Amino acid sequence: MSYSLNEIEALSKRATRGAGLSWGIAEETGKATRWLASHDLPGVSLLVDVLRQNDAVARPDIAPQSLDGVWQATSGTLCPLVSGAALNDCAGRLSAGHSVEMANVSHPLLVVPFAAWAAIHIKAPVAVTWLDITIETDGFGLSVDDPKVQINQTSPVTLICTSALQKSNALSAPSHRGNANQAAWQALNAFALRTYAPATEESRILGAGAGTSDND
Amino acid sequence: MIPQTDTSTQAPLRDPAKVMRLARLGSFHQSRLSFMRILTRRMTRENWTFTRPVFDIDASGVGHAVFCAHTPNRTYSLVAFAHDLPADKRSDRVIAEAWDSTFTLFDGVPTSDDIERLRQNIPLQEAGRVTEKELSVSRANRSVRLWEHVVSRLAAGQQPDAAEITKVGYLMRTTAVYGSGKLGAADREMIASRPEFSAPFQAEMLSVFLIRTYVRDLAQHMAQARGGDATATLDPALARSMGIGNSTGLGMAPFLLNHPKLINNWISARETAIARVRGVVVATDSEVAMFRDLLARSLVSADLWHSTHEIQIEKLAVLRVDLKQLQAYVDGLDLSRESPWEHLFTWAEAEVGIDAQECLASLMLEPYGVLVDDLADRMSDTNVVQFRIDGSMNVATLRSILTRAYGWALTTDWQEKENCARAWYVSEEKLEPRLGERFDEPIVPYEQPLAPGRDAAALHAALETWDADAVIAEFLLAHPEHRHTVRRAQIVDQAPYAEIQDNTIGSDLMPIDMLRCKLSFFGATHFDPRSDRWVRICLFGNAPYPEDLQSETGDDWPYPTLALAPT
Repeated sequence: MSYSLNEIEALSKRATRGAGLSWGIAEETGKATRWLASHDLPGVSLLVDVLRQNDAVARPDIAPQSLDGVWQATSGTLCPLVSGAALNDCAGRLSAGHSVEMANVSHPLLVVPFAAWAAIHIKAPVAVTWLDITIETDGFGLSVDDPKVQINQTSPVTLICTSALQKSNALSAPSHRGNANQAAWQALNAFALRTYAPATEESRILGAGAGTSDND
Repeated sequence: MIPQTDTSTQAPLRDPAKVMRLARLGSFHQSRLSFMRILTRRMTRENWTFTRPVFDIDASGVGHAVFCAHTPNRTYSLVAFAHDLPADKRSDRVIAEAWDSTFTLFDGVPTSDDIERLRQNIPLQEAGRVTEKELSVSRANRSVRLWEHVVSRLAAGQQPDAAEITKVGYLMRTTAVYGSGKLGAADREMIASRPEFSAPFQAEMLSVFLIRTYVRDLAQHMAQARGGDATATLDPALARSMGIGNSTGLGMAPFLLNHPKLINNWISARETAIARVRGVVVATDSEVAMFRDLLARSLVSADLWHSTHEIQIEKLAVLRVDLKQLQAYVDGLDLSRESPWEHLFTWAEAEVGIDAQECLASLMLEPYGVLVDDLADRMSDTNVVQFRIDGSMNVATLRSILTRAYGWALTTDWQEKENCARAWYVSEEKLEPRLGERFDEPIVPYEQPLAPGRDAAALHAALETWDADAVIAEFLLAHPEHRHTVRRAQIVDQAPYAEIQDNTIGSDLMPIDMLRCKLSFFGATHFDPRSDRWVRICLFGNAPYPEDLQSETGDDWPYPTLALAPT
């Protein structure tokens, strides 16, 4: 089904918060899912999967232990959202010619939007690689080299992000619309529902401060 | 931080610590930079034309109509559905499920297939679904008392009573005008590059402008159905005095907090305009004459402004007295003196209340379209990557930003119950934004991040144990709960009017202050609070109708003529 990018962003943000991540990470996750959707990539489905996987997992277990060396979690797998946000925070490292390597990061496509914003910041394209796939972006456009169809990878991989020379082939431009399958959309709604206060009569009367009648 | 001036003859910009207080934001008035006026100026300048290709509404008031606006390059169509709404269903709340009329602004001219698709969806509002061909979705309910008065008078061959009209100001009030991707509509980014939509909320304002015409035509149609040949045609002057109402709840308050850069751009544009006019060295006779005329008309507007809400009654009483005092001072003032507006504004800051100060600030801009109208181009937020956090910033720098931009919050005791008595949340009931009592209701687990002051103080405290040289990326890895606050602080550092410098969860919070701030930028007048968190307003009151636009010689329609002064 076709959705506006604002709908995708808003629901992804609420769902991420509903799954227990911080508001700040949720805000950026909304924008990341939006970015992927604008490139017709399945950010919504991957987000649902990672939120399910990490639901009720303590955050320190899925965040990079340190931003030095190869990034890894204390135990288990790195969350692509938390790791992606940290990558964007550290964008300057890429312009200095350093790469960022993450060990055991799940759902690696979700890291790509964060790398894209890093590219905008350093004013140079970046390349994100896992398994046999390489994705390049200047922050807006995208090129995917994916001979073995590993873009929808969910299980943990090693991911490397580096600044890249602009390839000669054109980057595909983002669109203004996104798609999501119904099941994934409903799953996001279920996570988002956790952020809504249950309806009560008291809340209904007092919370919005409206009058009792509008027949005037 | 005092923002830097950008023209040599400009006065200094006002300090954000002064401007961004809720009491002042809640006293803002419409101005030349209001979004409705940006739109009507463009419509006149570009000679937009208007047609009504469909008006298929039966005698019981059920059917649909299409109103087209033709710009030099495109056509936009308001598709209006008219319903027969039982009185017990009439509610202005978000949780309503039926309305007197429902609307969408269509990008182009709808085909009959489009109309059928929209007929299945628009009347359902939030329960329906639209596409990227739709730019807005909205609905309106009748003002029952004025609607009946106008329709019955016309049907009886008489004109409605002007005094009855001024008591309400509109025949219908909209209860939501959704744009920018809501319910599947086109995202703003899809249309923002079109010149007619580059300023904020132009598609929404165009929707409301066309809705006003539809409502006038519908009232005439319903009178005709009742009165037949004896029906009177509504006096154009009376029609013109009527705007469109709007009933606004808490949804607008989170908007202000969730779009800090955008709000900065609105307020920065108005503040820059004020500073430019304060810097005018010599005012011409015609500029002075225009100011005096509009000041007199502002007094009429204040007299026509009705409210039954205790707080607004008090505010209005003060405003009226202050405006009279201002007028008396201006009457005795030689405005041909050097720097007349700086002199007058400085006088007002010392002598009259905030409401009149802000009214004067907006009024002073009126003669100076040439000097200030270009600022409308700065009011959108076009920087799509502003949200990025600079993780290389060090702790010392962040601390200094917090001290500078959130000084008020760092000295507030957030343990005191009265300072954190409220919590913002979203109800699962149609996702209506609400405000609750933190210590009385089970809402804390659902709290929205809409208390930047409290959060900034918490961030500042968390930074205490960190080395001044540590980078923020490291800090955020350990403290993700402060991530949204770090982002805000970095935005505020670049955009000084981005943050409300007041407590948004205190026991004395008046959410209507936040609503009025936003609505004043739309161009709303006659704020009429129904409670501390609910306000009715008038949009496009006294504005030209489509057929009047080309004969408009000025841009002063929000100011009622002296002839409309209540007797």
